[in-house]
Amino acid sequence: MSSSPPPQPFKFPREHSFPPFFTPQTNLTTHHAQQTKWSSLVLSYCRHHRIFKLSLSDSLSQSDLFHNQQINRRLSPQHQRSIIDFLRKEGRAEYQKENGGDLVYIYWRTPEEWAGIIESWIEETAQKGQVLTVYELLEGENTRGSEFYGMDREVLIKALNVLVKRGKAQIFGQEDSLGVKFF
Amino acid sequence: MFLKSIDLTTALRPSYLPDEDLLFVQDNVGLYEGKYKLPNHQNGQVYLTSHRICYVDKAEPRKYSVALHLKHVERYEFYAGFLKSSAKITLIPKKRDKQHASLQHQQQSRSSPEPSPVTTATWVCTICSFSNPVPSNFDPTSANQHTSLPPCLACGIKPTLTHVLKAAISNATHHNPPLPPPLQSPSPIRPSQPDPEASFQCPRCTFLNHPSLMSCEICGAPLISHNLPSDLTQRINTESPGPFLNNSSFPNRNDTPESIKLSFRGGGEKIFYERLKNSLTQRKWLLQGAPPIPSSSSSTPSNPSNPSTTNDDIPSRNKMGGIAGLERQNLAIRQKNELVIGTAFEDLEALMASAKQIVELAESFARQQQQTKGSSSSSENNTLLAESVSDQLGLITTKDIVGNNSGGNSLYLSELSRTLAEFLTDDRKNILRKSGGIISLVDLWAVFNRARGGVELVSPADFEKAARLWEELNLPVRLRTFKKSGVMVVQAKERTDDQTVKSLLAWMKDLHEFPPEKEVAWDWRLFGRGVTARDAAERFGWSIGVAEEELEMAEERGVLCREEGIEGLKFWENFIDAGEGKGYKDAATLESERLIKTLKDVGML
Repeated sequence: MSSSPPPQPFKFPREHSFPPFFTPQTNLTTHHAQQTKWSSLVLSYCRHHRIFKLSLSDSLSQSDLFHNQQINRRLSPQHQRSIIDFLRKEGRAEYQKENGGDLVYIYWRTPEEWAGIIESWIEETAQKGQVLTVYELLEGENTRGSEFYGMDREVLIKALNVLVKRGKAQIFGQEDSLGVKFF
Repeated sequence: MFLKSIDLTTALRPSYLPDEDLLFVQDNVGLYEGKYKLPNHQNGQVYLTSHRICYVDKAEPRKYSVALHLKHVERYEFYAGFLKSSAKITLIPKKRDKQHASLQHQQQSRSSPEPSPVTTATWVCTICSFSNPVPSNFDPTSANQHTSLPPCLACGIKPTLTHVLKAAISNATHHNPPLPPPLQSPSPIRPSQPDPEASFQCPRCTFLNHPSLMSCEICGAPLISHNLPSDLTQRINTESPGPFLNNSSFPNRNDTPESIKLSFRGGGEKIFYERLKNSLTQRKWLLQGAPPIPSSSSSTPSNPSNPSTTNDDIPSRNKMGGIAGLERQNLAIRQKNELVIGTAFEDLEALMASAKQIVELAESFARQQQQTKGSSSSSENNTLLAESVSDQLGLITTKDIVGNNSGGNSLYLSELSRTLAEFLTDDRKNILRKSGGIISLVDLWAVFNRARGGVELVSPADFEKAARLWEELNLPVRLRTFKKSGVMVVQAKERTDDQTVKSLLAWMKDLHEFPPEKEVAWDWRLFGRGVTARDAAERFGWSIGVAEEELEMAEERGVLCREEGIEGLKFWENFIDAGEGKGYKDAATLESERLIKTLKDVGML
């Protein structure tokens, strides 16, 4: 899922090695602080590893995000979901399917933010009025080095749709060979 | 001085003298000195004891509480109340105490020094309560059964000789007329400038007489104009219409006042009067310092004048069994009683010496009498029993002891509440400290009722209500309800949640310093370690349930946070919320705030 492994490992915050951090708190205020800390941890973790989609069922085993092996504490699936829900309320996560499911988009950048980045890239490289394929945007020579290089295709399409709504782009073509025209 | 300030116990009740018994309590009572209200003594509880009458102010108990020794009381009068004027009991101090004051009072209040004592003496008809003048030729010293007495002027019924005699004597012993009970008139004050339309209200029957008349047209009472201070016309509005005593206008009020009145605004005056009468008859204060009474069964040679002394030894010599023995025993007891009563009334000395026994006898007679009367008076009976039993324990609030008022048994509850507080703070029993400064209400209830010795037990409902009153009454203990389990506990007032939290936090800080017993994966220097309710219970000497509740209370305050693991529930110092959650408000609050803001913007608020 991550494109290029980062050179240095992710530095977890202090709380990640605090045992009670893995237990849902009952005190509302503390609970809120816990959720805020967890969600920012999830976002920065995903940003660090360039994770766009999180699978709830195997994220437990595959990542050290929700499982601190050092202190032998892990976050229960219910608690994970409650954190995802917290992120969703802030517009920072979205289930792939409407009614929940396993896959979650983590928006460490929201589609709107991505749209802004693409738009400024188009402007900087003077490609207004040009037609680019989605593949070119993701994997092309020109986009290498830009922030959205190698990003999740579905998230990219969401971002492009935002641009369409703003009247800055037009999408055409078939499922596999989508083309975008920027104005 | 007649009224003395007194010491109060921790529960804001008068501390009793040795051998002093509480007889009655009534709340909502005000004090009068003579005719005027005593400022700051207008709403309080009155405790009638065997020795004193104590007034404990409700608003400022430590400042304005006073007591009055019954031994200084010469006479007492009862006034049943009329319309807005509440029932009152007047206490008149002993003559030698008050001579000085009353003389001065006379000079102050009377312009004409020649009173007409004969006409002012009145007797109140027992049939129609009309005040008749005592005939001028009536001489209390020579009167006997054959003295002819005039019938009542209103109803024509002849009074009894003793009735008139009493009236005449009470009049003769006081230079002042036995006061046209001034309190009877709801507004006894005359305007300071006499205007021609003004009429003089009779202080006795409230008839408005022409100002030039010297005596009332209706009842013949003398119309005496008092030199009232002018500032009294500006009346302070209180719940009762009487005027207040103004300190400045009575420079000599350190002297014994002419009389003290207790105004019963919440009822209860009848029982108070009855018990006052009893305690003035019993004169228990005489027992103080009295030598121990030589028991009559141990025949003393110092009492040779007693011919029956030798009889006492007979039953003990001839031991008999069966019914005859019982009868003998009864006979002996009766003889003993007779002896006690006989010697008691021989002279005053003897009475003083045997007062204690006499009191006991009187009580037991009363008990027997009531037992024979049947169950109708069983509550009275209970009172006596309760009094005698509970006195030994120092627990003296029973339902019968307090007065009734319109608010149901609220007075009973507040007294019970005070008793409980005293019970808890009593250093001898040390109930709170024994259980780590905190005791559950149920346990306390059991302990308390056990201490009552199985008599006059307090019902759980009353007990809880009384415990809830602690806060309101500002007593040194408090009732705490745990949020989660609803368990109610009792603890000293100074032990607040803040203090508990503080001690918990200090303990948590210690855990950063001392390494845990076994190796832990996390940085204990940074986080310390988790503690269970058991750890806390061991550390602070609480019960486990209490420890759980205290830890959760600290968690509720955001000081601790929890960790649920295989080792059970542990509590940690809160490192999760370092201020991030401060601004947190739940959705409902946010919603309502948003709504208010919009409404304000629109201009509707």
